[in-house]
Amino acid sequence: MLIFSQTFAITRMLSDEYFQTNILKAQQTDYMAIAAYGLVALLILAFILFAFRDLFSLRNGSTRIWGLARNTFFEVWYARLWAIPIIWFVVCFILNVAIVRGYAPADEVRIRLSIFLEAQEVLLLLYLGIMACVTLPRERERKTIMTTGSKPITRLELLLGKIVGLSVAAFFLLLMMMIPTWLYMKVVDHGIKNDAAALYASEEQDYDKLIRHVPPGEGTLYVSQHGVLEAQNFVSGTMRIAGDVEYVTNPPLRFLKGGSAETLYLDFPSLPASSLYRPEFDFIFPIKRVSNADEPVKINVTLVARLNPMHQENATLTLQERNDVGVAAYVPKDPSEFFSYYDSQTGQLFDPGPVYLTVSCDTPDAYLVVSDGLNSQQPSCYAVNLDADRTPDGKTLMAPAPSPEIHGFEAYGKQEIVGPDPNHPELPPEVASFAFGDLSKTPIPLDADGNFTVHLLLDVDKQSNEDQPARALLRAYDANNPNGGVEQYVLVDEKNITTLKLPSTLLSADNLVIDLRSVVPGHWLEMTQDSVRIMQPPSPFVLNLAKSETVIFLEAVLLVTIGVTAGTILSWPVALLVTLVCYILGNLFAFVTDMASTGGLNILTAYQQQQLNGVWYYEIGTFISGVLVRMLNMLVHLMPDFTKFDCQQFIIYSRDMPWPVLAYNLGWTLAFMFPALALGYLLIRKQELA
Amino acid sequence: MVDQGLAIQTRQLTKVYPGFFRSQHVQALTQLSLNVQRGRIFGLLGPNGSGKTTTIKLLLGLINPTAGDALVMGQPAGDQETRRRIGYLPEESYLYRFLNAPQTLDFYARLFNMNRPQRRRAVDYYLDFVGLDPAVRRRRIGTYSKGQARRVALATALLNNPDLIIMDEPTSGLDPVGMLEIKKMISRLGEAGKTVLLSTHQLSDVEDVCDRVIILYRGRAQVEGALSDLLEQKDVFQFEARSVTEKLQEQIVELAKNNGAVDIHTGRPRVRLEDLFRQMIESKRQNEEPLVSSGSRL
Repeated sequence: MLIFSQTFAITRMLSDEYFQTNILKAQQTDYMAIAAYGLVALLILAFILFAFRDLFSLRNGSTRIWGLARNTFFEVWYARLWAIPIIWFVVCFILNVAIVRGYAPADEVRIRLSIFLEAQEVLLLLYLGIMACVTLPRERERKTIMTTGSKPITRLELLLGKIVGLSVAAFFLLLMMMIPTWLYMKVVDHGIKNDAAALYASEEQDYDKLIRHVPPGEGTLYVSQHGVLEAQNFVSGTMRIAGDVEYVTNPPLRFLKGGSAETLYLDFPSLPASSLYRPEFDFIFPIKRVSNADEPVKINVTLVARLNPMHQENATLTLQERNDVGVAAYVPKDPSEFFSYYDSQTGQLFDPGPVYLTVSCDTPDAYLVVSDGLNSQQPSCYAVNLDADRTPDGKTLMAPAPSPEIHGFEAYGKQEIVGPDPNHPELPPEVASFAFGDLSKTPIPLDADGNFTVHLLLDVDKQSNEDQPARALLRAYDANNPNGGVEQYVLVDEKNITTLKLPSTLLSADNLVIDLRSVVPGHWLEMTQDSVRIMQPPSPFVLNLAKSETVIFLEAVLLVTIGVTAGTILSWPVALLVTLVCYILGNLFAFVTDMASTGGLNILTAYQQQQLNGVWYYEIGTFISGVLVRMLNMLVHLMPDFTKFDCQQFIIYSRDMPWPVLAYNLGWTLAFMFPALALGYLLIRKQELA
Repeated sequence: MVDQGLAIQTRQLTKVYPGFFRSQHVQALTQLSLNVQRGRIFGLLGPNGSGKTTTIKLLLGLINPTAGDALVMGQPAGDQETRRRIGYLPEESYLYRFLNAPQTLDFYARLFNMNRPQRRRAVDYYLDFVGLDPAVRRRRIGTYSKGQARRVALATALLNNPDLIIMDEPTSGLDPVGMLEIKKMISRLGEAGKTVLLSTHQLSDVEDVCDRVIILYRGRAQVEGALSDLLEQKDVFQFEARSVTEKLQEQIVELAKNNGAVDIHTGRPRVRLEDLFRQMIESKRQNEEPLVSSGSRL
């Protein structure tokens, strides 16, 4: 069934609010989350109640805690702590020598720093995790706790002393590893500076002698003066790559470029089918052609269940054109894998969760106008034949979530924009658009001429014209006034920083946008979200390194707290296992969260589940998996997400780690450390020490 | 009711170690009621497994009683403030193997909130006090002999100048001279008004230094009282003299018989091996360099 009506100007029907009130309320309340948070609240309440005296005695307990901490540090030291930095350096040195060869300076620094920091993190967490699990059980085994426990210390001081001592060891270790890292990277940077200076001098000489037609790169000069280690502070924009963004129209039009690798993503939060018979997706795309060809336009559609990407269907559809508007319909082969089904007899809801569609176009000269349904636009896609009882206003069709995304071609974590096609010079090149918003309150330094600095970090993928230097057209303007602004051709310094100056008048724009396109046929530009940067004063490398080390330190402190807590009642092998499980689950947080929210691996579709209802083995399996999923759900709310501790997030990209990121890591550590400490205290409070 | 004159007071103190799975529970202490006066040296006697160490652990709050209660220096056992006034010498020297002697004492001194000068003075004083050879002090305790470690453990027990010293087998691992020194030290502590709870199965130790004793067997108190009262044989008289000829000896025996004495034994007394050993070592030492240059020796 193909539904098009004259009144296509349908406002977005399904908001998140709708789903919260109409769909999700049919699902069970997340009692496990409530139970988990309740448990933590009880734990903290019990801690405050029972540890009241011990907390009070902390006011003069610093000497005792430090004494215990110092002793723990000695224990760790004599367990060959000093060998860790030596092992680390040897491993890193071998890896650096063996692996890092023939890379561009920025990549070289990134890889070297990755090796150093990764090895630090692994060795530190491994060593201190073990020591944390061992320290209290070993005191019990060797009975030294009898002597120590007979002195005027509280159990809380004992725990804190252990945690502080191991934290001091972590700090010491990191310091021992940070200094060689800093020195090593400084030496590397010195070499990079020298190489850049020699290259710049050589290029300048060649240019003066007319051997070279292109002036030496500013980026090379910058690297020769500053190196590549400086922690850059900059404002980065929101990147949007679309076939083209035409800001002249209001709202701006976006195009899906035919024949390119661009993909349109359309998200549906949920699809409530009225029955599982023939629900479908309808597409409507105004088409702009850049040639007079009348070749039919084909789109490739992939339908994916977001929570379970195993469930997907692919189809190629031909758009039927009428007055430059192409339409097509797609009927899923197995709707139950994508559409939720509400069984009115049992009152059960079988919901496979959110669904997304990807759309790409194979026809080279066609540009499909993508609309998101906002501002009285017609959405590009509808889900049709839905349950009128569960859609707003009893409608039987549904638009996807607004702001559909268009992703360009991705390679090595970068996106590419396609330059002019040598075979079709009439086709406009792709545009990467970076929106910076209002910068009037952002401090951005200006040079003597009143210009601000923009850095471009671009790579070039040369499909043809390999011998030509890469050039880009940069256009900076206020989105509210797309016809104004400045245009500038830029010589792209490949795999290096391209610096350029822009007038400060642009900074007063309400919504600054910088567009970038390749102008050399066959040259595709590769970029990331941060490839266009409005520069602020850099921070020293050593400070940025210290911030990264602090992230590792905080991760170690959290792991140590968990280890010490586990060691309060468990023997060291079991404590080690518990801590390891915590750490592994914490590193698989996204996977575990997905498992918990989808109720397992979702191998069976909702429809298949309905058919199996009442079969005894299915019922038993459902019960067991239900219990396990609930436990998993509770665990998700209790366990720390260790992936949040990302020490390499900024430094390997020569970017200064913002202080709020560090504060967030600190807050995250304390948020989990406190309940872990409370649990440890309650476990050891009345424990017999001898 | 709390008696301020008592350093230790237990009422019906009971400890049962629960069994797990197939192992049976163990009744380590049964309804022990014990009063130890302040300033006394009190002996806790009994064979292995009689509940001596369990009693000490209960008094220190290291383990929890199954029933009954214990007051130490007028406060419940395990009270943090009270532990400031207690010194504890465990039956084995449970010390950190990776520290040397000054580091060990410094660590425990920190737990008593001593500041740096106090710690330094205490460490030097007590290492001298227990007679630890200065040559070994900087070595890690893991390399010490049992006797050397025992001295360090003793120093840690005395570090805070405690009012109550609890010693579990204090002479364990010491040579006879060391044992004698310990006993002398315990006597001196008693003279200084300290309360000492001495747990041992070395009866000679107790006999030499204790005022009162309690004898435990299988977790129950068998007998308690002043040592002099317990050991004195009130119907026996002992007479010792030098230069007694055989004739005089016969006359004394005859006189005793004539006056109704029975079970008369005469003979030459023997010195104890411990005394002989001590005399020999001390005479040798007089010709040697002193082991320590400052501080007091036991």
